[in-house]
Amino acid sequence: MVTREDVENIALLSKLFVPEEELDSLTQSMQEIIDFADTINNAPTSGEAFDNINNLSNVFREDEVVKSYSSEEILSNAPEQAENHFLVRNRE
Amino acid sequence: MSYELVAGFETHIELATKTKIFCGCTTQFGGEPNTHCCPVCIGLPGTLPKLNREVVNFAIRAGLAVHGEIAEVAKMDRKNYCYPDLSKAYQISQLYAPLIIGGYVELSNGRKIRLHHIHIEEDAGKLIHQHGDTYVDYNRGGVPLIEIVSEPDIRSIDEAKEYVEKLQQVMRYIGISDCKMQEGSMRCDVNISVRPQGSEKLGTRTEIKNMNSITNIAKAMEYEFERQTDLIESGGQVVQETLRYDDATGTTSSMRSKEDAHDYRYFRDPDLVTINISRDEVEKIKATLPELPADKCKRYIEELQIPEKDAQLLTKYRKISEYFDEACEGVKSPKTVSNFIIGQMFSRTETEADKEEFAVATTPAQLNELVKLIDDGKIRNNLAKSTLEKMLDSGKGTLDFISESDMGGLDENALNDLCKQAVESNPKAVEDYKSGKEKAIKALVGNVMKNSRGKADATAAEAKIKEIIN
Repeated sequence: MVTREDVENIALLSKLFVPEEELDSLTQSMQEIIDFADTINNAPTSGEAFDNINNLSNVFREDEVVKSYSSEEILSNAPEQAENHFLVRNRE
Repeated sequence: MSYELVAGFETHIELATKTKIFCGCTTQFGGEPNTHCCPVCIGLPGTLPKLNREVVNFAIRAGLAVHGEIAEVAKMDRKNYCYPDLSKAYQISQLYAPLIIGGYVELSNGRKIRLHHIHIEEDAGKLIHQHGDTYVDYNRGGVPLIEIVSEPDIRSIDEAKEYVEKLQQVMRYIGISDCKMQEGSMRCDVNISVRPQGSEKLGTRTEIKNMNSITNIAKAMEYEFERQTDLIESGGQVVQETLRYDDATGTTSSMRSKEDAHDYRYFRDPDLVTINISRDEVEKIKATLPELPADKCKRYIEELQIPEKDAQLLTKYRKISEYFDEACEGVKSPKTVSNFIIGQMFSRTETEADKEEFAVATTPAQLNELVKLIDDGKIRNNLAKSTLEKMLDSGKGTLDFISESDMGGLDENALNDLCKQAVESNPKAVEDYKSGKEKAIKALVGNVMKNSRGKADATAAEAKIKEIIN
């Protein structure tokens, strides 16, 4: 069961502000998301682990330097920037 | 009541790979902000991280050097937290299946500080807080780290200092990191608690984050030990919290409020596949490890008869120990080589950084040649010493300073004459010696040494002088 406290906690961890009046509807939405994801638990399995479904292992790169992007490119999607840095405003 | 300190360390070490852990961007320190970045290391959606093979190799080297067990199967996990230094809002790390399990660091008092595990992970970006806002540079984001997590086995500040020094020493020896605390390539989080002496139960701990010098580690631990002890003595309770140490005031303060308590919700990173490590690979890496400092130190003491204190000085830095090994090749008295390095060379390499580099003007082969002249009885120790001084200051080799005639030594007659001369010209010293002042003989021997320009054998001269006087 997803509770209001769960939603508040997740919001806090995600640094999101959730207005009081939206808490109930968000709690319900989250419950629906969890229920949907839970349908996977009903899939018939033989109990093996699914954390490596491709059965791949040891996919590595060699330690060779590849040219980095320019700071202009790196910052091109930044909501705000200053002096070649990403700028994060303090909202408090 | 007296209290015991209990501490454990989480040590982050930046690996000296050329590229980052999941992309080909350079790991070079510094650089203009956000110029060592790509879509992978700034965490753009739709990018796919790919693990740097060398990171795994370096971590295995680290594990072997501290007697850890190398896992056969390791996995990467996501550690979720929301902070601007990490644009993806999760750090790729290891929790459930780290690369290295267990291990220990042995201290000089014989105690073993057990390690819980060593895992690999990505470093976060650098934040600059200014005018109430935060400026973010992701150059450091994605630089590979190992985190060495110890058990709470440390019982004093001296042990803590030695633990960090030993880790630093061994990681430098195996060449996986420069471990420069001031540049942040080695950083420690210290978990510390106190308990009544004799108690088995662990007290509530606090964690001091991101310590970047051994001096500060010691000061912060001292402060925290006092603070916790006072708190308990006055009937209070230690609150489990994360602290920061303020160098300027020498105090610790709380970093996060209670509501901020971390809940990392770790889970397997679906972008990264399982790491399988064959025993063959481990053996191959093991074969490339150099002789480790603890083994070297033991060998110097037991096989070369170097005093323990000197052996520790020689093995503290890899380059010095390698210099010593080379200069000792085929000499009769390694102790002489050691004395010259510690005596004449250390005074010319005063800082830690100088010793780390150990770029002295005399090569190990030149020192070797000089010491062999003593071995062969061609020159005396004190002539060798003064020659070495000249060699070090000028960068020239032995033969530039020692002539053929210097190497002749002193024949019996010449020694006899010089001793007679010393006795005749120093009646006061002779008188003193006769009246029981044993030390007065040294003045006479000194006179002989001076007049022979260091060529005389001091022991032989002393015997001869005694013979003349009596």
